[in-house]
Amino acid sequence: MLSLGSGGGKTAKPSFVSYVSPEEIKKENVNDELKPHLLPGEILICEANTVVKLSREDSLQRGFYGKLICTNFKISFLSAEQLLDEVEQSYRNKLMGENDISLHCVDQIFGVYDDKKKPLLPGAVKNKIPEKLLLYCKDFRVFHFGLRYTKEEDARRLIQGIVHHCLNPTSLKCLFAFPYVGAAGGLKVGPIRIEDDPPTMMFESKNDWRGELDRTGGLLTYRIISINENYKISTRLPQFFAVPLSVADDDIKKYKGKGIPLWCWSHPSGCALLKMAAVPEAADDSASQMDKGWIERQLHILGEAHPINYMVRTEILSATLPTLQEIQASYSRFKQLFLTENAAEFWETDIKWLSALENSNWLEVIRQCLKKALDIVECLEHKNTTVVLMEENCCDLCCLVASLVQVIIDPHFRTISGFQSLIQKEWVMGCHCFLDRCNLLRNNDKEVPVFLLFLECVWQLLQQHPPAFEFTETYLTILSDSMYIPIFSTFLFNSPCQRDNNQMLDEDQRMLSRSLKLPSVWEWSVQFENSVQALFYNPVYVGKPKTDKIRRTQRVKPQRQMSLPSSPSYHNRPTSKKGFFREETDHLIKTFLGKKISRWTVTTEDHSVNYRQFYDDWRSKPVDHHGLLLPQYDGPALKVWGQRYLRWIPEVQIPGGGSTITLNKIFEIMDEINTLQTKVSQRVLKRQTSSPSSDVFTPFHQASRLSSTFPFGTIRRQSIKPRIPVSTNLSMSFGSMENLPDEEDLGVL
Amino acid sequence: MYAPARRFAQARCLCTYALARDFEQARFKMEHIRTPKVEQVKCLDRFSSKKSTTGTLHLTTTHLIYRETTTDSPKEIWIMHHHIAVVEKLPLTAVGCPLVIHCKNFRVIHFIIPRERDCHDIFNSLLKLSRPVKYDDLYAFSYTPKKTEYERMMGWKVVNLNDEYQRMRIPNDIWQLTDVNRGYKVCDTYPTELYVPRSVSKPIIVGSSKFRSKGRFPALSYFFHQTQAAICRCSQPLSGFSARCLEDEHMLQAISKANPNSHFMYVMDTRPKLNAIANRAAGKGYENEDNYSNIRFKFVGIENIHVMRASLQKVNEVCGTKELSLNDFLIGLESSGWLRHIKAVLDAATSLAKAVGREGASVLVHCSDGWDRTAQVCSLGSLLLDPYYRTIKGFMVLIEKDWITFGHKFAERCGQLDGDPKEISPVFTQFIECVWHLTEQFPRVFEYSETYLLEIHEHVHSCQFGNFIGNCQKEREAMKIQQKTHSLWSFLLENQHKYLNPLYDCNLPCAHEVLEPNTVSFNFKFWRCMYHQFDITIHPRQSQLSRILTFIEQNNQLEMEAKKLEEQIIKLGQKPCAVYSREPFHPVSRLSRMLKASETVCKEEQQTTVESNSIRTLEDGNISGDECKELKATFSKTEPTLVNLELGMAKMTC
Repeated sequence: MLSLGSGGGKTAKPSFVSYVSPEEIKKENVNDELKPHLLPGEILICEANTVVKLSREDSLQRGFYGKLICTNFKISFLSAEQLLDEVEQSYRNKLMGENDISLHCVDQIFGVYDDKKKPLLPGAVKNKIPEKLLLYCKDFRVFHFGLRYTKEEDARRLIQGIVHHCLNPTSLKCLFAFPYVGAAGGLKVGPIRIEDDPPTMMFESKNDWRGELDRTGGLLTYRIISINENYKISTRLPQFFAVPLSVADDDIKKYKGKGIPLWCWSHPSGCALLKMAAVPEAADDSASQMDKGWIERQLHILGEAHPINYMVRTEILSATLPTLQEIQASYSRFKQLFLTENAAEFWETDIKWLSALENSNWLEVIRQCLKKALDIVECLEHKNTTVVLMEENCCDLCCLVASLVQVIIDPHFRTISGFQSLIQKEWVMGCHCFLDRCNLLRNNDKEVPVFLLFLECVWQLLQQHPPAFEFTETYLTILSDSMYIPIFSTFLFNSPCQRDNNQMLDEDQRMLSRSLKLPSVWEWSVQFENSVQALFYNPVYVGKPKTDKIRRTQRVKPQRQMSLPSSPSYHNRPTSKKGFFREETDHLIKTFLGKKISRWTVTTEDHSVNYRQFYDDWRSKPVDHHGLLLPQYDGPALKVWGQRYLRWIPEVQIPGGGSTITLNKIFEIMDEINTLQTKVSQRVLKRQTSSPSSDVFTPFHQASRLSSTFPFGTIRRQSIKPRIPVSTNLSMSFGSMENLPDEEDLGVL
Repeated sequence: MYAPARRFAQARCLCTYALARDFEQARFKMEHIRTPKVEQVKCLDRFSSKKSTTGTLHLTTTHLIYRETTTDSPKEIWIMHHHIAVVEKLPLTAVGCPLVIHCKNFRVIHFIIPRERDCHDIFNSLLKLSRPVKYDDLYAFSYTPKKTEYERMMGWKVVNLNDEYQRMRIPNDIWQLTDVNRGYKVCDTYPTELYVPRSVSKPIIVGSSKFRSKGRFPALSYFFHQTQAAICRCSQPLSGFSARCLEDEHMLQAISKANPNSHFMYVMDTRPKLNAIANRAAGKGYENEDNYSNIRFKFVGIENIHVMRASLQKVNEVCGTKELSLNDFLIGLESSGWLRHIKAVLDAATSLAKAVGREGASVLVHCSDGWDRTAQVCSLGSLLLDPYYRTIKGFMVLIEKDWITFGHKFAERCGQLDGDPKEISPVFTQFIECVWHLTEQFPRVFEYSETYLLEIHEHVHSCQFGNFIGNCQKEREAMKIQQKTHSLWSFLLENQHKYLNPLYDCNLPCAHEVLEPNTVSFNFKFWRCMYHQFDITIHPRQSQLSRILTFIEQNNQLEMEAKKLEEQIIKLGQKPCAVYSREPFHPVSRLSRMLKASETVCKEEQQTTVESNSIRTLEDGNISGDECKELKATFSKTEPTLVNLELGMAKMTC
């Protein structure tokens, strides 16, 4: 391993070569005081000068001198040298610079003492100052900071500060979002304003829910209830939600909303996807019998609720999917593959790449989820069966599977605004515990990357069917990064209730009528300029044909199945699975399946065969990017999300190669088409003299020689090679031209 | 555009000719065919257990044909006998007798024949037919497409290696053509025309060749004129533990000196070190750095043909499993080592290209006999260095130069005749796969697409063309290949529009550079389109490539549509409108309605993407109105999109 020589200077180990000697630096620092870029409400906690940031491209032998600071929001490295050397970056986050690490993005901290890497843990910071500080980030960056020339007390304070603020448990109110929004107040961060067209539905009002019910055609059989307004009934439910028409308000009150089928989405054929949380475990047998009766009644209602009678299938997710614990364990093994410290370590993992991948089991977890989603899609699409997803709290795997199913069936959710609405509907309003699952407070062991798993599944779909999605993988990657920037209300809370409670301020502030509204992550302009946002849009996306209705026109005729199979076979339904949710699952299974619940319920045994057949049938038809989009889940079809996991590893970059180059070409062509369109319209509208709004977004414009990891991890290797001519004009495809003909309308008429 | 369909059609027409013309030979082969036709044969899908079709099996002298009878539009599967690698008869089941055929192009087909007797007959016939004993039985000698004798002859002149060496600026004042191997006197597996440094005399060459295994002395493979560095190739020296050969030392020195820009040369032994050391005991081995002046010797560790054969077999076993779980796939892929071998070959080629391109040092490459690994590394190295080899024509030249003339033993490696199964090895397949990985990493610098690679691979095994028949040039001359058979190259050139990579851009600066592929494991993927090219059920629905190709297709249709509409307009006595003629538009009052129409279209277009435009416009274009007004409106709708698409695509395909 290459490293800095030890501080004592007695060894002759290779030490880094610096461009300037320490004396020079001091001079420089005196001249040029580095000003950190602080956001509103950001407070500098500690800092240290003469820190060396070692760059991996130079085998950690060289680096830049600068200042390392720690604030209540981020760790940031400031360097005068680097600014000069800065490569133009096409990707820039307004909140986070290239050398900024949000405190919540830090995954592991190591100190290097005499070439030995030791984890730094809170409370156990040694007196001895490590010669190197290693920061592993959740977005897979790895930072090396040399502290050899740093003043000892500065270094100690800095390390203590960083370790304390990155690893110690904290409280919700201490998250940066609150001081940030408090300070920004009404100035910068206004009310939620999302500039999408059509707008992202937040599902915070009845109207959004009604709109969604209306869009999916579920208005006849489901109703929106506002019984939980101000969270009177349950804090684990949103203020508004939809339930089957016949569910009475009293039913909802009984178990605080548990044991009630909650509407997720209606299939055009009339069947629907619902989710249900388990009722609290009964104290004794008679009570549990009662609970069973209760569930039975609910399902019965559901079965009868439809104008046409459908079968109802209950699906206990924890019984067939990997447990949350398994997911977490798998992900922590998986992520370790990409957190390599240096080139040598990277090549070490590279030799065993495939078996290490297998060992992590992460792809298999993804595969399980895709399979489950496919299974449920088959029920909805093919068998016209209403599916009720069940989970103990119905806020983890339920959210995952429900939203995945909707992405697969409904093309609306494959647009950017639709996808964002979906996340609002299923995850935010579905009370997914983002706070716990991302472990932002670092005070519990409930961290499970469920949401990330969902993004992974969507990514797999995206790379299998690129033209069907309005967004790109860059969008997904950036979305996954945003989870660790503790500013956005979307990812900060365990439930909308918690959010609303915390957004309410102390009395005095309320008197000043300053609303403390945290921004939503969907306000992309908080993070990015338009030029970066342009990277979200997939150039090969097949827009919805104008003539098409929202839903596909021809439909499978619902089987009017009034009578059900005589012997539903859910008795031999599977089966406990090991894991930490086991008891809960058992309880769930007991409640649901102890006896014949309802003649409306049906569970099929030979799912795998069914959906395989279903999949094959679907494949044999021509592809429709606005229809069903089934994932391929055979082993070889699943891939590693290279952009997210490998983007910062210089060894993996292909200069001038990779799929980025193809994408670039497509952008070029789009550009050309747009130019031509402008020309044509100019000729048609003869009075048009100048080309309007020509270069608004220029995502590829500045990029020097692209590498396969574009837009992340720009190449710093000195390249003598000339630049690739790249597209300069992406604007047209995103509707900036819309108003041109409008104006001319008048003229012609 | 799916490959099998294309091939059926092609093979069918070829077959008819063959049957008609070479009746004599056909009759000879007929002896092997006991049962020419079996009905009610079931064909199982390899990956989905539920799907099976029923059809009739026909056995001809050249093909095994399966024709579906169950569906309305019967599909046909044509399997050339030469493509059959293994025929297996599985134990009798209740439904019939299963017959599994593994092909060299990785098709695996599973028939169930109702009667065991029929199955037995077919099995025996296929055994005989798939393993011809002499070259004359190969299909190439009976294959007669509709071509004149002159065309056939010209086909063999498509690739001319003299031109190729001239393109490399050889001969020059340092390198010259030697006639030492005229009549294959010195080395019978080498071509007659070889290039060596001017400073070496014939006795030196002959002396050196005696010190090299199979007489394969160092000869020029590629000359990189930018740095004056050369890639040379040979076989291992017969050094044993201590033997020396002054001529050989002289030869290497001359090659090293031939490059004025570098004071040393690399000698690259592509074998693993252990293998090379083991060879020393057999009186062979590797160069001793002490005996040769100014050489830098290194091993690159590519495994031998037996390891490669076993490895590929393992991959195909693993990936042929139904409902393959992810973990089995990953473990299987890892333990087979196939991708690791691919990586090793590419690693070697990359370091070769770096040495020649960056360092400007000449490299001498050898393995044991210098016809397997050496061919791989030399040709891939040249491909990385020279953009010419990344064109359709250039790739043919490359194969001709480094594989065919330098004596890669195609006949033995591909098992063209019934021979030693231990000699069969996927060396060329591996080379093709390496090229595919490069096209994946650099999608815009290759003129050809994956289809081209697959087509070449197909015909290396099909024995339909003479190019790959036999083991070396001497054998081919003896067989009168050029007189009796057709050349694949002219066939490929005729169809080259099918193989174009729509993303290729020869004006791209990086298209002219030395490629530096990244050989991190992550960048190596299982090539499904090769190893599962016939298993349609498991392919991704649509590749980017096929999308773009349909795109081009649509564009052509649009153009046709435009022409038709134009003609109709003329017929109806109207002048083509201004929009169409692409002249600045002059306001004409009677066209104002039309104007409005096109305007709305413009508005719509800016919101939708290209594909939807073209589809929609096609729909619009289909309106065949008799009324002139309607027609005009339709036309002006078509036009803006058409212009855009056309020019956009023109750029794309240039």
